[in-house]
Amino acid sequence: MMFPNLFSPLKLGTTEVKNRISFQPHLTNLAVGNLPSEKQMYYWGERAKGGAGLIITEEMSVHPTDMAYEKLIDVYHPEVIPGFRRITDYVHQFDAKIFAQLNHNGQQGDGSISRLPVWAPSPMPDVLFRETPKEMEPEDIEEVASYFARCAIYVREGGFDGIELQFGHSSLARQFLSPLTNFRTDEYGGSLENRMRAPLKFIAAVRKAVGSDFTLGIRMCADEMIPGGLDLGQVQEICARFEASGLIDFMDLSIATFYNLYLVEGSMHTPLGYTIPLAAGIREKIKLPVFCTGRINDPVMAEKVLASGQADMIGMCRALICDPFLPRKAQDGRLEDIRYCIACNQGCIGRIGMNKLLGCVQNPAVGREKEWGEGTLAKANVKKTVAIVGGGPAGMWAAKMAGRRGHSVTLYDRGELLGGQVLTAMKGAGRDEFGVIIRNEKSQVEKAGVSVKTGVEVTAESLLATHPDVVIVATGSVPKEHPVGGADGPAIFNVCQVLEGKAELGEKVCLIDYDGHQRAAATAEYLANQGKTVHMITSSLFIGAELGPTQDLYLTRQRLLQKGVTFTPDIAVIEVAGEAGAKTVKGFNVYSNIWDEWGPYDSLVLAMGQRVDDGLYLSLKGKVDELYRIGDCVAPRKVDMAIWEGHRIGREI
Amino acid sequence: MEIHMAHENLNILVLLREVNDPRPPARLMTRGAGISDRGLRRIPNPADLTALEQAIILKERLGAKVTALAVGPGRLDDHLRLAASLGADRCIRFHDHCAGGGDPLADARVLAGIIAILSPSLVFGGNRLADRGDDPVPALAAALRGIPCLSAVTGITLKGEGVEAVRKADRGGRQRVASGLPATVLFAEEPLSRYPDTDAVAASLGARIEKWTLADLGIPFHQVGALGAALPLASYATPRQDPVRVATPDANLPAFQRIISLLSGGIKAREGRQHELGADATAERIWQILKEEGVAT
Repeated sequence: MMFPNLFSPLKLGTTEVKNRISFQPHLTNLAVGNLPSEKQMYYWGERAKGGAGLIITEEMSVHPTDMAYEKLIDVYHPEVIPGFRRITDYVHQFDAKIFAQLNHNGQQGDGSISRLPVWAPSPMPDVLFRETPKEMEPEDIEEVASYFARCAIYVREGGFDGIELQFGHSSLARQFLSPLTNFRTDEYGGSLENRMRAPLKFIAAVRKAVGSDFTLGIRMCADEMIPGGLDLGQVQEICARFEASGLIDFMDLSIATFYNLYLVEGSMHTPLGYTIPLAAGIREKIKLPVFCTGRINDPVMAEKVLASGQADMIGMCRALICDPFLPRKAQDGRLEDIRYCIACNQGCIGRIGMNKLLGCVQNPAVGREKEWGEGTLAKANVKKTVAIVGGGPAGMWAAKMAGRRGHSVTLYDRGELLGGQVLTAMKGAGRDEFGVIIRNEKSQVEKAGVSVKTGVEVTAESLLATHPDVVIVATGSVPKEHPVGGADGPAIFNVCQVLEGKAELGEKVCLIDYDGHQRAAATAEYLANQGKTVHMITSSLFIGAELGPTQDLYLTRQRLLQKGVTFTPDIAVIEVAGEAGAKTVKGFNVYSNIWDEWGPYDSLVLAMGQRVDDGLYLSLKGKVDELYRIGDCVAPRKVDMAIWEGHRIGREI
Repeated sequence: MEIHMAHENLNILVLLREVNDPRPPARLMTRGAGISDRGLRRIPNPADLTALEQAIILKERLGAKVTALAVGPGRLDDHLRLAASLGADRCIRFHDHCAGGGDPLADARVLAGIIAILSPSLVFGGNRLADRGDDPVPALAAALRGIPCLSAVTGITLKGEGVEAVRKADRGGRQRVASGLPATVLFAEEPLSRYPDTDAVAASLGARIEKWTLADLGIPFHQVGALGAALPLASYATPRQDPVRVATPDANLPAFQRIISLLSGGIKAREGRQHELGADATAERIWQILKEEGVAT
């Protein structure tokens, strides 16, 4: 067996888990009416079917004062039990175990949904939610403990195998533990013993409610990574004391808090397995099984972590959102079939942060497992000849899905390599992992029996000569011309020309950012890495305005500043002028309306967005029975929509 | 191996034990009731095959009679057929459900019972099991029979009425020991020197394998197996992996430096600082560092 440690069983309290892969808790927004939903049943069930040994549900609210997110499950009333039973029965049929995560978010929420004040150890607002909480009175603490216990009983009656209490990055318990958020002077604040009093009450109440023959663990924040907060040394001591209580069976771990959310959900620039030293540090001090989570998206790395004794269980979250069948493929040794997560954070964290349903750039079936999950792809009733033009993500997905359904598919691309704009995007600084999207799909396209023809410039005539039944146009988009004066002058390039090495740039470069996303930021960093002096101008409030939801903002800005890139926000650029070496930029402040001029620069780079490349589509219109267009050539958007539309059309034709 | 003297009617009993391919870690049955043996590759213990080879050499040179013995279920017949193809004269497989679940002492009673019936001049076996390490059963059986046991043997010589053996000693040294017959000899694993030829393999398919049970030994059932065990079995568990130490963030560092160290691909050990100073200033600085570290006052 390729991964003997990863696929060896582990005992967590009274529960034996068949392997070392845990699908970690994360918000899904899939609950309906604050009750467990059918979508959640299929969502978690799909990961159980895919071979994960353990599923830990998303955080569930234990008390009415905790409604940080609109679509949490409220566990504190017995109406949840039938829904829980359906979920746990469904998951159990795949030989997986399922734990429920119980949480009170404390100050890390606001009262706008619950219309109640939020409760916290001290009246200190959270950095993200910014609402001053009510300082909990001792009877409030007792009440929360009793609610934890009540919820634990409903969880057990709902058929779960265990409970995880969220004491990690977003939790009332951590707020009690941390000197950063606990300023109390009574028996719940001050010394470590006092700060641990409330969390221990929560644990003791749950243990008393569920009895000794039920698995109970906690998720701790291994290091808050903020001055004055908990560090690894303190957390080691806390974990050792929790272990000594004899009340818990395992120790799941997270890192950081909302002060540095980019560490909780590390994005593409964060190294793979970045939390391993913290898990190893905790495991040194305690005997309980320790979980390690944080960009471990690969069974090879997971096996290494286990074999080196740095953790006992591997938490995979985004890796299994992206490919629910990663465990089974790893067990079968089919590593080439694994769809690796790239931590782009656009579909999962990016969507959840905007209160949308969970998604995944690379997995359109997320949240729609009942309709689109494993085993739902039906063979086509009629075998058709399908021509797909454009080998970017949209075209590749359409080809893969249509090929799997038995159609005779030919995929054309004018480039030598499949990948479309991803091939350009992956050249941005630190964005090379973006290319994994293409790596993941290329072999799947071939396995689906698709005939791939690269280096072919397709015209309407040449395509019609092959008499296809269906034509899908996925010709993508091209950089938009700058609408301002002087943009057709010398020494002006767009970001694609820069990343593809087609631009001869001087040393002093101004990048005009109408994008706010990686197209501009990764290009600026790419130039700064070459030693160029880069100045960025945007009409937004700040550079990287679109990078917040994906947790790229902080580190991107940090790196850009460290590399000497300078920023000018709030400016609408109206005119560019001058020769190469003396380019100037004119614009006005969108708030004060005061005009100003910047320069001179050797060269200008424009990140202005894209326009459709729909020439082929328009020339085929009316000449083919079934003609579709998908992806950027409909309207330029992000890669998730390209893949979504490719997937859907491949299912439907 | 050196053999100097002929022995008439030398009768050798060779133990053939089964081991699992030791590379994949053990999978436990539900709630630690046992070690799951599904899907494992089973092989004859390599050190036992070394012992068999030594016995066959004695047979070829001195005409000894070699009996191969396996204790366990029917699948062990394969190992006995292998022994037959290599030259064993007699194959015996002992199996009795009453003997299951025993500890080394209970299992040794079974082996001692078999030795009592066969009365071999020599009992050969491997010193260690490839998957579990030391197996005290042959030594305990020898003790129950009151016969000497020579362990970790790399070569034997038959001398006079007895046997002389070279065995592994401390730190790679060798020790020469002598014993009368009968004796139990446990061999350290050495590379095998032969494979069976095709005809012998074909012939072994029809080799007679005697099947013995507890009734043949005349041992009461309560002395063997789980009932006869001095060590009642509680449950099985897998050990925690030994940790490979990784440097963890230095709690004394400011938070932003801890973050940088995590994000720069892991934590590196703290590096020394380099100072470029003149001789007097260097001495002064060293003195200051020693004071800071509390080494000097």
